[in-house]
Amino acid sequence: MVNDLGRKLAKLAFEERGADMLLVMREEHGNVVPAMVPKGEDLGDVRLDIPYQLITILENIYPWVSKGRIAIITRRCDEKALAELVKRKYVDDKRIVRIGLACSEDQIRRCRCEDPVPSKVDLGEPHAAAKGDELISRLEKMSQQERLEFWAGQFKKCNKCFGCTLNCPVCFCDDDCVLEDRTFVAEPSVPPGLSFHMIRSYHMIDKCIECGECERSCPAEIPLLTMRKLLAKDMKELFKFRPGDEKTVSPLNTTLEGEQLEDGCDEC
Amino acid sequence: MAEFSPTILAFCCNWCSYAGADLAGVSRLQMPPNIHIIRVMCSASVKPEYVLKAISGGVDGVLVLGCHIGDCHYMTGNHRTAKRMPLVQKVLKEVGIDEKRLRLDWVSASEGEKFQKVVTDFVDEVKQLGPNPMRGVKW
Repeated sequence: MVNDLGRKLAKLAFEERGADMLLVMREEHGNVVPAMVPKGEDLGDVRLDIPYQLITILENIYPWVSKGRIAIITRRCDEKALAELVKRKYVDDKRIVRIGLACSEDQIRRCRCEDPVPSKVDLGEPHAAAKGDELISRLEKMSQQERLEFWAGQFKKCNKCFGCTLNCPVCFCDDDCVLEDRTFVAEPSVPPGLSFHMIRSYHMIDKCIECGECERSCPAEIPLLTMRKLLAKDMKELFKFRPGDEKTVSPLNTTLEGEQLEDGCDEC
Repeated sequence: MAEFSPTILAFCCNWCSYAGADLAGVSRLQMPPNIHIIRVMCSASVKPEYVLKAISGGVDGVLVLGCHIGDCHYMTGNHRTAKRMPLVQKVLKEVGIDEKRLRLDWVSASEGEKFQKVVTDFVDEVKQLGPNPMRGVKW
């Protein structure tokens, strides 16, 4: 059975934009789950309340979908995550059809999002950006000692579940993740210490698109998104670079004169 | 109480800075004994992870030394370092560790005196900063 939203989505994706399959969230037996629906098949009870980044799902199933164009509902952060994936050639841009979804006010407030409107709005009403992070202004007033105490206190809650890495749409070093390397994070250690979070912060610095998935999936409620936002600000000050654009190259992959370095190291 | 004597890691690149350190030694230039030199093939092979792990593990300061820009044995290795280390400093700063605990400098093979100066300056600076606050954090 297809609902109104499902009909609208099917028309947009299959008829107007020529997709072969659609990646959506739908209700099945009382749970909302992601589903890849081929053209012509029943979409079912489609939902728009996407609790996580659909791009992470796409990234996981993409290697198994060898042909056809995939339509996907993209919020602004999904769009930026896709750009980062396309830039690193994990995903072929020609095989993706984007259906823009504007975030609700509630979501924007939760993510403290400063860039909530997708380039093309197909679903939902565009809302204004949030005014900024209250925690950032609090942290900026703190002394160095207080800041270390704050973050050490937060990171002490970490139980090393790897939720922040697994659910992150732009965390790609699948098999050689240094955080799973015993050299950097001792295997039995819980909490994993400050180095775990500092290394992860550094790794995200040129690709974090501030979707807030790390913070949402953190069972210990560590304000990880705030950390990402702080470092994104530093990145902008230092190199005038903001992730989430297909055309710009990460400053870590260019020389000081801005020329692209020969071997594209995906890790950095 | 005895004066605080910091523990400092110095990553020296094989082609310039390590040779510079060698020259400083051969020329019998006096330097504080706090630095532990780690010889790496290029300053770009100093992964930011090494620096972050060292500092979160309680090392008081990390010195990364490479060839001057343009002199890198691998052409653009030190360009990478020059871009990475400021970001690592920012990560340290945001977490609440003084960014001066990490220093990046260029020392060529003929600059034994500069090596001595960089090391002496850095040791003095870290002495003023005091012990790494991470030593006091109990996990």
